[in-house]
This record gives sequence, structure tokens and C-alpha cells, in this order.
Amino acid sequence: MAKQAPKQATKQAAGISTSSTAEYFSKNLQQVGFSSQTKAVLTTLKEAVDNSLDACEEHGILPEVNVTIEKVGPGSLKNSDSIRVRVEDNGPGIDPDDVPKVFGEYLASSKFGRGKCSRGQQGIGISAATTWAQLTSATGARVITKTKNMRKALSCMVEVDIKHNKGVVKDRQMIDWDRPNGSSVEFLVDGRVQLNGDAGLLNYLAATTLVNPHLTLTYKLPEQEPVRVERVSQTIPEIPEATEPHPHTMKLGEFIAHSHLFGKVKVKSWLKEGFSRIHEGVLKDLVKNGLNANLLEKSVDGLNEVDFKAIFVAIQNEKLMAPSTKSVLSIGEESLAKSIQRLGAVDFFAVVSRKPAICDFKPVQVEVAIARLLDKAAEADEPVQVLRFANRVPLQFDKAACAIVQSIESVNWRSYGLAQSKDSVPSGPYIVAVSVVSPFIKFKNASKETIDASDELVAELRLALIQAGQKLSKHIRREDKANELEEKIRHIEQFGPMLVEGLCRILEAPESRKKKAEDGLLKLLGRDAQATEAELNKASEVLKAHQEKESEKLGEVLVGGATAARPDEIEVKKPKRSNAKKEARA
Amino acid sequence: MAGLMSGRSKKLDDSIPKMSKELCNRLLSDLERAKRPVLYATKCSLDNAIYNHKVGYLTPGDKKVATELNVSSVKKMSRAIFMLEILLRNIDTGAVNTKRELYYISKGYIKHDSKLKPLDFADQDESDEIIDFICEMLEIYREEVNCFANDRGGQTYSQQLVVTETLTDGDTAVIDLSMLGTSPFQPKNRPQNLKLSARKKIDFGLVVESEGTANTLVANGFTKRHNCILMGAQGVPSNAVRGWCKLIQDQLKIPLYFFGDLDAYTLQNIYRTLKAGSAASLIRNSDYSAPDVRFLGVLPADIKKYDLNDYPVKESDPQESRALKKAADALKNDPFFQDKRNKGLAEILNWLLKNKRRCEQQAFFTVDPKDPTMPEKIIVDKIKRGDYV
Repeated sequence: MAKQAPKQATKQAAGISTSSTAEYFSKNLQQVGFSSQTKAVLTTLKEAVDNSLDACEEHGILPEVNVTIEKVGPGSLKNSDSIRVRVEDNGPGIDPDDVPKVFGEYLASSKFGRGKCSRGQQGIGISAATTWAQLTSATGARVITKTKNMRKALSCMVEVDIKHNKGVVKDRQMIDWDRPNGSSVEFLVDGRVQLNGDAGLLNYLAATTLVNPHLTLTYKLPEQEPVRVERVSQTIPEIPEATEPHPHTMKLGEFIAHSHLFGKVKVKSWLKEGFSRIHEGVLKDLVKNGLNANLLEKSVDGLNEVDFKAIFVAIQNEKLMAPSTKSVLSIGEESLAKSIQRLGAVDFFAVVSRKPAICDFKPVQVEVAIARLLDKAAEADEPVQVLRFANRVPLQFDKAACAIVQSIESVNWRSYGLAQSKDSVPSGPYIVAVSVVSPFIKFKNASKETIDASDELVAELRLALIQAGQKLSKHIRREDKANELEEKIRHIEQFGPMLVEGLCRILEAPESRKKKAEDGLLKLLGRDAQATEAELNKASEVLKAHQEKESEKLGEVLVGGATAARPDEIEVKKPKRSNAKKEARA
Repeated sequence: MAGLMSGRSKKLDDSIPKMSKELCNRLLSDLERAKRPVLYATKCSLDNAIYNHKVGYLTPGDKKVATELNVSSVKKMSRAIFMLEILLRNIDTGAVNTKRELYYISKGYIKHDSKLKPLDFADQDESDEIIDFICEMLEIYREEVNCFANDRGGQTYSQQLVVTETLTDGDTAVIDLSMLGTSPFQPKNRPQNLKLSARKKIDFGLVVESEGTANTLVANGFTKRHNCILMGAQGVPSNAVRGWCKLIQDQLKIPLYFFGDLDAYTLQNIYRTLKAGSAASLIRNSDYSAPDVRFLGVLPADIKKYDLNDYPVKESDPQESRALKKAADALKNDPFFQDKRNKGLAEILNWLLKNKRRCEQQAFFTVDPKDPTMPEKIIVDKIKRGDYV
């Protein structure tokens, strides 16, 4: 045994090899959203749509996206269908040289770690979709793309060279295309189509239209009529430029790596230009607090690890201003208000756009839209539909662990008139949409399905939800008053005659007394109804004032059109005298 | 007592229909004039309870609960008139019912007349509440409108006691408890129909909190060795137990003792109710309390004296922690425990709050596990030595 040991070790050492990124992901596609057949279809669609929207926004184009999903036959996997997912856009198109990188190479991204609020961040998603298509259908991504400068469009098949993490272009040809620029990507994947439910395609598409008011989306899903959702905003969101990194969000290794971008400049210049929130005053304080002043005058490439550590530690101990919030983008209350009405017949809604804030030392903007849907009225006992967004991408899985759901559960919605069991999401025919935008969203996993619930983020989310709840409660309160009035009138009509009849039976009173008493009772209870009516009018006035205030922000048509009947339209049913004839009781 | 009870009952039997009609007439007259009728009921809660040791039980103060007719109360009032009609019919025909039966009777009327549907009670609690509301409004006992609770508790053992019951048809039944062996006599909650006598002088009456322990004492020969009446209360005393104790106290004039656990619940909910009635039944405490009953134990001093097994109150147990909180409230707000004549009882509550320990009545069985009559010996010894509060 003892003799064999070194031999075994050598053998093992000889077996150690390096895998390509593509190899790793091809074996772990479940980590990036391909963990089930239904999820595979959704993720493929999602990655393609994200890329289209990001590309359009970056080039100042109002996006028009066309989605087609169709079943083409049985799939190669057990119990699966072969499904074609095609996404076309009017985006800028892709330079032919970049096509293999975009669709066939992992971590080849123009967005990785640059600190912008784009949907895609790492350059994994679309390559993973190509890999899934390749593994299940033995074909890669069918791409047609054309930039403005191209006379003809490039049509090709892109596959992933899994061994070397490279995109391979096949079947390349230049074709005539009926549009000046744009891209079309088509995947043939094994999977199953799930239309409804939290993880359904319809939910994804509805959610995507909600947070992209500037998007015109057409889609055709299997066994469904084609749908076209027009844009409600002509404004292309401007993705703010990334700000320089804040030193308190870095680790020593990152700090040193960052210096390599600067090379032969003085340390003080590097610190001032390469980071946000470091200025002359901060440098003086660093020296005052014990940092060797000579270090700041040195050249960055002349620093050794001890020097780096000394500077890094000194900065970490320094109190700095929180990072700037300029790098986040918002959908805006007006756009949200317009967009939410694309989800169906909306009874009333409330939107809240919080100012950008700092959570866990990262800029974050939270926005909330809550709407009551008329066509969901039958689902009064069901939990509300929660739409979660991270950088405007819908999150559809693992909701229980998500910061957004945890925040919704922690708010006491009962005080705003919604039904809610303890520590649960409220129930009722509502959609609660919550968007978190940040250049640095902390996800719990690589497939970006769940936002990590840090205390600071949950607190910020709660504030937004509470504000939306307060706005919503004005509508609900008025409605409650109207219901109360109706209930009281019903009470009068039902119980009044019974009381009088009971009394008359016990007293064996004549009919004349009965009539007189009934009249008296109606007079009395009518007064009560008037008092309730006054309360209702007051609640209506509060709502009206609120609506006027909101309409200044959101536009007259929006607020009036989307809310329930105006206060002056409420018909108050006056108590009527019951003509029911007295019937002898058994 | 029997005289008092039956006298009051007789008077009210005649006057309840009259009082009810007066009330209904007032309501109807107010309505005819479009005037808002208001019903006043005695407020049955601790903040309207008065305790005077000379009276011996909790009596109602001046506070009334006013129910004004408005859109919110019209349902309650309609239901009250509906139930009153049923109760008056019972008085008229002599029919007797439990609350549960009345709940079903009301449902029966509604079933046969769909117009009454809105009056339907969703559960018995709702109809019980209306029956109590009627009693508080007319200031009468529930029993006076022929509504009786189930005869729970009060199982009684004696070799000397003879009970003569007047039946509804005028016949009498004589029950000699010595003829029942180890079976108990179950008192009815219509004590006005019972007359008590003793074949031999009875020395004392003992009410034991646990019916099981009362039965054990009897099985071990307690009633053979002592001229007494032994009764199991079976937890919080029902109206039957309370009326029965009052009857024994008034007719036989014997000393009465209560033996139960040493804890806040027993002292406040069981013993106080037996001795002075409850806040919820202020209007009927006069006939449903036995002010002469003394607290024999378990006393705090007994723990040390007999080396009894006591144990800490589990504050994590919601029921026990609630009992402690209630004890603290009782010391602050309950006029019974605040009366200086009941200082000894208040001291026990203070001891319980301070020490947060409790001791069960069955702990007497630990004193000499080989001697099954040891609890009996201790009880009798305590009575002889006057070791009670």
C-alpha cells in the first residue's frame, strides 16, 4: 500500500486538467436558468429579449420586439417538445465579427462589471441558450443581423465550441433583408411551453411590457392569437453612465487590479480620478490619520503589496461620502402609470418612484406599482400577483427567498384595506409590481432569480411599498365607505320591518300602530344613513384631492380613466319602505 | 334560601311577560313618534361590581349599558325581540330548554319562515349573547325564562343528607343520599324545587375542586367516617353547583369549606365564583353564591408544613401566565380581593405572584404514599384546627 501511494498521487496529478468556461456552463446549465424543460423555454426567450432591449436602449432606438414561439414536433428529451423560439428586433444590428462572440462565447460581454444598470451583466445568458439548443437539438443559434452600414444582412448559424469557449459560425451567407437594421435570433430547443402561472410565458411578457413603457411588443405563442402591445412612452430610457467605483465597495485584490488600469501616474492622481468620493480633502485626512505622505507621491506601478495594503486600509478606515446615486435609472411614475394599464382592465392603481438611495453602499432605486384588476375580481381570496424586477428583468422563480417578497410580507397591508394573513403577501385581485434598479444588484444565484434580502434593501423596499399602500388606501377607504353605506341601507330594509313586526306580535298591536312605527323607524334609520353618506362624501373628497394631486404628476386622463367611479357618480340608494305583506309565522 | 328563590321565581314568572310587554310597548311607542329607543341593561363587568362583606357577594353598581337603536344595532334588537318571543312562549307553555336547544329552536323558526332568514344565528355564541342581553335588559335570571344550563358538576355524597324534590306535576321525590352507595347525587340547577333535611346532625360540607378527588375520598370512606356533605365542583362552578351550595348553606346552616389547588386560577375563577359570584352574573349572584364557604387549602403554609410537592408556574404556558396576570389585575381591580375581610385571600394571591409557584390539591397524596386516607386526615385536621382562610 505504502509503495503504491506516490504512484497514485502522480497519477492523480497527471489527471488535473483545465476546463473552458463553456465546458463548465454546458455541464451546469441549471445554474443559469435551464433547470427544467419549462424554464429552458422561458430562459431562452428572456435572454434574447434582454439582449434586444439592451441593444436598442444603448443606441437610442425605441424598441420593437417580435416574439414567436411555436411547437415544431416532439423533442429528443423524454416528454419534451421541440420548440422554436424566435426574437426579432429593430435594434442596431451586430457587427458580423462580433456575432460569434455574442452568441457563442461565454463571458464575452460589453457589459461585464462596468457598473451600468443594463439588463445583461456578465455575458453568459445568450451563450447558454445556444448551448442548450446545441445539446438538445444539435443546432446552434440561427442569426440574421444587419447594421445600418451593411447593404445585405448576415445570416448564419452560431454554435459554441465547448472545448475552447469560442463561437463558431456556420452556413454563413449574405441575404437581402426588408429592414434597414435589426437582428433576429432563433433557437430550436427541447422544452415545454408553460403559458400561465408565476413562471408562465404570459406572465413574463406582461411583466416585460410593464417595466418597458417604450416597448412595442408583438408575440405569437402556441395555440394563441397573435398579440400586439403598443408602446405608451416615446422616451427611450437613458442608462446613466457608470460612476467611478467607490473604494468602500472593494476588496484589496480588486483595489490592486484597479491600479493596473492607470499604470504610471501618481498615487494621489489615481485615487482622485479612479475612485468616486476621494478628493483633496480626503487625501489630507488620510495623511493626518497616519498614512505616509510619500506614498501618495509615488508612481502607482512603483507600489509593492505592503504599500497597497497600507493605502487600502487607510481608506477603509476613513469616513467617506456614500456613493453617488447618479448611476441608477428609473422608469418613472408617469410611465409606470401608463404602462400598468396595458396589463388589463385596471380598476385603480398607485405608483411610487422612490428617490435613488444607498443600500449596502450601493446605489439603488426602488419603484412600486400596485393595481387592482377588474378581470381578476373573482380571485378575491387568492394572494396578490407579485411581479418582481431586477434592472427591469422579470424574476419568476424562487420568490420566497427574494428581498421583494420578504418586504411585501413584512408590510401590514390590513391598515391600507387589503386582506392579509400574518407574515404573508396580501390577497385580492391586485398586481403588486416592484422594480429594483442598481448597477450592483446582489443576486442569490447566477441565474439572477432572487435578490438577496439585506436589511437596508428590505427597509428601502418597505418604504416604497408603504407609500404605495397609503395611496391605494384612499381608493379602498372610499370604496369601504360606499360598501358600508350599502350595508347599512340593506340592514334597515331587512331588519326594520322585522323589529316592528316582532314588537307588534308580542303586543298584539293593531295594524295602525305597526304602520306608524314602520314610518317612524324609517325616518330614524334614514338619518343614520345620511350620516354615513356624509362620511362617504368626505372619503370621496379625500380621494378626489389625492387624484387631483396625482394627475398633476401623471396627467389628467390617466388618473381619472383608471380609477373607479368618480365620487359624484356614486348612486346612493335611499331606504325604501318595505311593502312586503305581513305573513303569519308558523 | 328555597323560600327566597322560589318566592322570587314565583313573582317573576308572573311579571316577566308583563315586564317584557312594557319594554316592547315602550319601544313601539318610541318608534311611532320617530324617537330613537334606548335599551338599558345592567353592566355586568368587574368595573360595575360592588362587594360588601355584609352582603357577601358581588352586586351590580349603577352602570348601565345603553343600546340605542341605529343602523348598527337594529339587527341585534330585531334578534332580541325574536328570541324574546320564543322565551315568552316557553314561559307560557312551561317548556324548558338549554341555550343550545334555544339556538336550534330559533333555527327551526327561521327554517319554516324564509322571511326571517336575516335573523339567523351563525353559531350558538350569537344566540347565547342575545339570551344574555335579554336577561340583562330585564334584570332577570336566565333560569327565570326557563333556560337552563346543563347540570354540570356538584356531584354530592353524604350518609346523612335527604333531598326532597318537588316535581313539575306537584309530586315529590325523596332522595336519601345514604342509599346511593358510592354514586353521587347530581343537584339540578333549579334549587327552588329542592328541600333539604338531615337524618343526623351534619358537621360540615366540603367542596373539592376536582370531582375525581372527591370520588376518591368517598371511595376511601370519608363520608362513612365523618358526618358531612362532600361535593365535587368539577372546575369552575356551574350555576347548578353555585345554587346548590347556597341552598346547603341557607337550609342546613353548616360550615362549608373549599379544597382545591393553590394557584391563581383556582382562587379567582373557582373559589371566588363559588363564594361571591362572578362579574358576568352580577344580577344573579344573590342566589348563586355561598358567602360562608371558607378556603381550606391548599394554603401556602401547607407546602412547608406537609412538605408538599409544589412546582414553578410555567410562564411560557399562555394559560398560566394569563392566570398570573389576572391575579395581579384582581388585586388592583377586584372589589372582593380588595375588601379587608378578604385580606387573607389577597395575601395568597400576593404570595402566588411573588413566588410564582403552584401546588395541586392532589399533592396531599405525597405526604404518606402508603396511606390512602392521609389527605382525609389532613383535611379533617385542618378543619379541627381552624387552619383555613
